[in-house]
Amino acid sequence: MSLKFKINISRGQTLVIITMLIAIYYLVCGIYLNNLGYFNQETLFYIEKVRIIFEGRGYKLKVIGLTAPALPFFATLPFTIISSLLAPAIASALGTATLFYLMAGTLVKKTADDFYLLLLIILFLFHPGILYAACSGKSIYMVLIFFYLFFLNIFKFYTSNTTFHISIASICLVLLLFCDYKFIWLTLFFIPLIFSIALQSLNLAEKESIFRMTLSFNSPSLRRKLINKTFALYVILFLLPIATIFCYKMLNLTNANDADYFLNSPYANWNVLAERLSYEKIALNPDFQSPEISLLISARIVMFCPLILFAITLFRRNAYQILTLLTPFAFVEFLHIKYDKAFLLYPYYLIFLILAVLCFIIKAQPVKRTILFKSVLSLIILVQLYTGYYFLNTSLIDDERNFITLLKNRTVDGQQDENRDMANYLNGLPDGSKILIDDAVAYPIVAFTNNVADLTLPYQENFLSAIETPGQYVNYILIANTKNLLSGYTILNSKYSPVIYQTGNNYATLQKAYETDHWILYKLY
Amino acid sequence: MEMSIPELLIHDGFITEADQDKIDDFSRRSGLSYIKILLNFGYLSRKNYERSLLNAGYEFKQIRDEAYDLDILAQTDLKFADAHLALPLRVEKNKIVTLMANPSDELFIDYIKFTYDMEPQIILASDLDITWLSHVLLGQKYVKSAVFDLHNRDPESSALTTFTTPQLVFTFGIITAVAIGLMLSFVNTSIIINVLLSAFFLVSIVFKLFLALVGSRFELHQAVTRQEVRQVIDDDLPVYTIHLPVYKEDRLIKKLIWNLQSLDYPREKLDIKLLIEEDDDKTLTAVRDLDFPAVFEVIVVPFHMPKTKPKACNYGLHFSRGQYLTIYDAEDIPDTDQLKKVVTLFNKLPVNYVCIQCALNYFNRGENFLTRMFTLEYSYWFDYMLPGLDTFDIPIPLGGTSNHFKFEFLMELGGWDPFNVTEDADLGVRAYAKGYKVAIINSTTYEEANNEMFNWVRQRSRWIKGYMQTHLVHMRNPVKLWKKLGWKGFLGFNFFIGATPVTFLVYPLLLGIFLCYLIFDLTSIRSIFPDWVLFMSIINLMVGNILMIYVNMMAVFKRRYYELILFAIANPIYWLLHSWAAYKALYQLIVKPFYWEKTDHGLSKINNQPAPAE
Repeated sequence: MSLKFKINISRGQTLVIITMLIAIYYLVCGIYLNNLGYFNQETLFYIEKVRIIFEGRGYKLKVIGLTAPALPFFATLPFTIISSLLAPAIASALGTATLFYLMAGTLVKKTADDFYLLLLIILFLFHPGILYAACSGKSIYMVLIFFYLFFLNIFKFYTSNTTFHISIASICLVLLLFCDYKFIWLTLFFIPLIFSIALQSLNLAEKESIFRMTLSFNSPSLRRKLINKTFALYVILFLLPIATIFCYKMLNLTNANDADYFLNSPYANWNVLAERLSYEKIALNPDFQSPEISLLISARIVMFCPLILFAITLFRRNAYQILTLLTPFAFVEFLHIKYDKAFLLYPYYLIFLILAVLCFIIKAQPVKRTILFKSVLSLIILVQLYTGYYFLNTSLIDDERNFITLLKNRTVDGQQDENRDMANYLNGLPDGSKILIDDAVAYPIVAFTNNVADLTLPYQENFLSAIETPGQYVNYILIANTKNLLSGYTILNSKYSPVIYQTGNNYATLQKAYETDHWILYKLY
Repeated sequence: MEMSIPELLIHDGFITEADQDKIDDFSRRSGLSYIKILLNFGYLSRKNYERSLLNAGYEFKQIRDEAYDLDILAQTDLKFADAHLALPLRVEKNKIVTLMANPSDELFIDYIKFTYDMEPQIILASDLDITWLSHVLLGQKYVKSAVFDLHNRDPESSALTTFTTPQLVFTFGIITAVAIGLMLSFVNTSIIINVLLSAFFLVSIVFKLFLALVGSRFELHQAVTRQEVRQVIDDDLPVYTIHLPVYKEDRLIKKLIWNLQSLDYPREKLDIKLLIEEDDDKTLTAVRDLDFPAVFEVIVVPFHMPKTKPKACNYGLHFSRGQYLTIYDAEDIPDTDQLKKVVTLFNKLPVNYVCIQCALNYFNRGENFLTRMFTLEYSYWFDYMLPGLDTFDIPIPLGGTSNHFKFEFLMELGGWDPFNVTEDADLGVRAYAKGYKVAIINSTTYEEANNEMFNWVRQRSRWIKGYMQTHLVHMRNPVKLWKKLGWKGFLGFNFFIGATPVTFLVYPLLLGIFLCYLIFDLTSIRSIFPDWVLFMSIINLMVGNILMIYVNMMAVFKRRYYELILFAIANPIYWLLHSWAAYKALYQLIVKPFYWEKTDHGLSKINNQPAPAE
């Protein structure tokens, strides 16, 4: 007994040590990439908001409460003590290591075979998608954590049938929504699954689902019971997410006069403009042919993660589990239809990897012909490492492609040089110089500046007044010029009245102080 | 030769010789008198007993107004009189006038002869009348003990004093500080109060959700399995006392007998006491009018203030024989194997476990809105909260009934506090403070949910007042309590006993402010509370309400009462009823702290058969 106890402890400690090593590995990679100049729009957005919170002046409650996605943003906050520019990367590194710990923790409880743990370690060390989640500073790690916990608890519910697991699943889904709101649509595709669970749980002698359904629909009491149970299950699973979103929307309504502020405002959500921009840049090209075609999305997912097919075969005799595994397919297909003006981001592929690994964690133990099983599994995982790379390398999203290019070439990334240049110029302005900036599009510049307190930004009450009469409030105005693809999304562009006025008539009131390819800084006299 | 009573009953065919042998055997083993066993262990109904004796020429007399001599009474102990259902009253014509339910009880006749050195003059009377008179005349010593024993032994634990001087000073100090604060800086003080209340609300609700989740994790855990119950050997079972404190529950007596008869426990090892108040003729008459054998013994509780259930139970303790003891309400329907399960669990648990709490739920849950809400609340409380508290080793506020005690422990603690109107919650804390533990068991007692609003408010106001009393009693010396309970116990006690009434008192105020803000968008509210306070308060209120609704849904989900799940949404309205009851409780705490708000039972029109879960 005591020996077994010791072994358990030692296994647990080993897991902690491995997790720490993985975390260090991610941190090193993340910081290295950061030093090479890798940033993406999401991390810059978080950095900017964090800086507003800690250094800005004015009414910051809206920034704190309504910046979305909320949880990854809050997770970044503690690490700003170390460095505001590194904070998102640190958060994602530690978060991905936590994901490893959670998955490995479940795995070692299920099986004593360290081979599976080794495969998991390989996956976490070398899968480009996982590395992207860990080192990019994006919120992917958190999406994966809560996605994993949600499905883990759903699977546990099938075996334990306790309210505990379904409630925990529900709470995980709430947290998942605050990492990526689009997961709310998952609730739609659980309806058939829940109906199936309710149908199976009825106390009937008939075993075949179709006959069970016929029987239940033809008996009033069974019908009532079936509907009650389906509804109850649905409510228990999805009431919290739906109600929480309702509350959050109320909060948005009361504080920003728009219930969907966190979804639609570029001041609250980095993705509003990023998604549109990345789509417009590519899709408006007449020669462009999208690889993301309905139904083919599922095929692409299977290409990306062949492991999921293998996982489905493991559950071939379990109707619930099969339906559960198919639900995310339907969800992603739906996302493609619903958000037709956006490309499918990498995390929506990555969730299938997590799901497939989860299936193996649950089902690894009772498999016969272990050697064959392990060989096939190893082979598929190796293939996955390549598909993970391939999908990143051919991604339609700049941030994703940049990451893998940088990881491959390890050369200095000049993507943010222009923003840094402008920020450096702003940093060099005399103390007390007030600059009018619209951070809906200029948040990368704000992220690199040293003194957020000197900036007049939209969260501040005097921003609109400064727009109206800049001379009374600011000394400089940052304008997105006509080459800037985002200039249509900000009032501070080349059509901004004072700019038109000065370019047409009077150089004396407004003068270019600094100019880059996409930005012009005007000085007011 | 004149036939003895047993012979007469056999002759009349009311009992068989086999029954007679059983009674004699049980009498020898237990020391109980023949008449006691005959009328209280399901052998013969009182009506048939009277019929048989009347046919044989006996005459039953009304005895309540019989003259009595205190000196004569003083020589007989109530317990002896009660055991034999006989009572010597006075000397008349050099004979002791003696009331007897069984005129052929030789032991008692010999007792009269030896004690008084006179022959008895026997008056035949109904056993219930003798019980009533003997308890009224001889029970003063016991009833005083029932009322004052705890106060005399441990005055710090008695609710006889509602507010101590330091508590009054503290309360008025807080009120004064708030008043001064409001006068000096109305806005800042309002903000501080709002923030404190909001934070308290949220912490409290999140903690409850956490406990419910912990509780739900063990929902499949069976403290005692069916297999273990099947292995119980009847001969090894101890005597089990069941207290049934009733007051004007005449409508429920028949149901009560059916419910008790369905208990899977050897009849001879049950010691069931129906505790009737002295002035409760209705219930006594209902027992008298039963036309089938009773399975309980009647104990009449002499009049003494306060007229509370714990006082009646304390009184009943003096006459109880069991190794274990439990309390049921008259309308309760316990799971049939509950007592065996409890005995099994007590045998499995360490000795410091002195009480086992069963889950309570309702058989009439679908009757109306109130019963549905009550079911939601109870399911959550007993299925999740108590197991959650149990897991974290936090004092469990015992439920009103179906808490099973080790008898010796109850005596050691001095029984229930008769001045506390939620004596069970108080006892749970006292037990915990002495290092004892309470366990939860997988057995349910189905009760009748209150289906009438005013009746519900009366009952709830008593519970809330009891929580206030319990909190005041145990918080007389917070440091001492902290040392006794530890930090977890102390916080748990304050969250569940202390915070509950506060939450209900404050809830309508916060809701009112929120609704004003939402509907009228009052600028004055905006001017009092800055945006960050409103932001936080709204989050708290909404998240808090949703979490509580969700926790309630979880509980009925576990019970498979799927049809009730949507009613959880009506909880904010239901809590307003709680608030009404809380204000009533607060008022009563000040003006009549020991007043026992009587809950009427037997109002349900639902057939009281618990529908088991799917």
